[in-house]
Amino acid sequence: MQHFLLEQALNYFIHHNKVDLSALNGKTLFFALEDLPLSFNFICTNDRIFVTAEEDLSADVDVKLRTPVFLALLQGESLTDLLRQDKIKIHGDVKTVQLLVDLLQKIDIDLEEMLAKHTGDIVAHQLGKFAKNLKKSKNPIDSIKDELTTLLITPSASSLFKNKGV
Amino acid sequence: MEKTTHFGFKDVATEEKQRLVRGVFDSVASKYDLMNDVLSFGAHRLWKRYTIASSNVKTGDKVLDIAGGTGDLAMAFRKKVGDIGQVVLSDINAAMLNEGRSNLTNNGVLGVDFVQLNAEQIPFSDNSFDCVSIAFGLRNVTDKAKALAEMYRILKPGGCLLILEFSKTDSELLKKFYDFYSFNVMPKLGGIIADDEDSYQYLAESIRKHPDQESLKTMVLEAGFGFCEYHNLSGGIVALHKGIKT
Repeated sequence: MQHFLLEQALNYFIHHNKVDLSALNGKTLFFALEDLPLSFNFICTNDRIFVTAEEDLSADVDVKLRTPVFLALLQGESLTDLLRQDKIKIHGDVKTVQLLVDLLQKIDIDLEEMLAKHTGDIVAHQLGKFAKNLKKSKNPIDSIKDELTTLLITPSASSLFKNKGV
Repeated sequence: MEKTTHFGFKDVATEEKQRLVRGVFDSVASKYDLMNDVLSFGAHRLWKRYTIASSNVKTGDKVLDIAGGTGDLAMAFRKKVGDIGQVVLSDINAAMLNEGRSNLTNNGVLGVDFVQLNAEQIPFSDNSFDCVSIAFGLRNVTDKAKALAEMYRILKPGGCLLILEFSKTDSELLKKFYDFYSFNVMPKLGGIIADDEDSYQYLAESIRKHPDQESLKTMVLEAGFGFCEYHNLSGGIVALHKGIKT
């Protein structure tokens, strides 16, 4: 499901911002998270990106990194700095990776707008607000844990329901 | 010696299958959507929605929906491609295509082209579509390998093939329920609602004869696609295969 969601988000961004993918067209990039059984293949073709878990694909570039480094990249950390610190292992063309990372860092889609079609405006607004807080957070996983704990113990203090009189 | 193929659990002459399948769909065309809702408890709408979302189709794309029947996928694709794109709704069966045309008109959907075609001989030029879809149609095609090769031919490089089809579940419990439901309940409901028990008996049998997830994936790759993956839906009762012409 995470592959499907990432693919949707990427293509939504590419389409709505008219991103030029010509430099990436025809390339396949493999990202593996070393500390989790999770990997992503980004197949860039026909001006869109397909994201898959398929491991048998032959990729043009292999990228191996740990989850916190991946999250740091998404939050704008410089690829060059992380490479210098040996936090990322890349086999293949670094420029291609940089192009994809630039794209991933730019994704700032209007989650509320996407969700509102399915959930209605109120639920979409609350979830959108929660997602924005999460993106700003330095440690998103801890933020989710904290939010869930608050939600279970004192729901009215949760950012999802604050000021809603629950 | 005469070449044979399967029609449900029966072996029939290869040339005969197309005529028999046409008979099934001529018979059920007018009740097709209603029967889908009843038999799948409405789940076919979710499966199709997932298919559309997985297509990555965008404004301006050219999409061919094969065996598109009553047109629900074509309607959704039409919204995605906009006025500058193109959607072709096709079916081998004239009665189903007429149902599709009526459905689209009744829903105010304009700008979709209708073509009666055989998936084994698609009358379009090479590299002409961004996406080709076939939902619950491939198992009725006599020569599936030939049809897949045709789909590959007409897709642009980077184009996406979507095959939504009944498949095999790994869950023993679900399999038992599904077998009982398919062979005992579905034909009876077909008899009551569509006045055609035999066609729904064929439906249950044809699902069992259709290749499983891995076999179909192999067929897609053998047709030339550089990449293929599948997603099981509803525990594998249905699977969406997604192939990309790399």
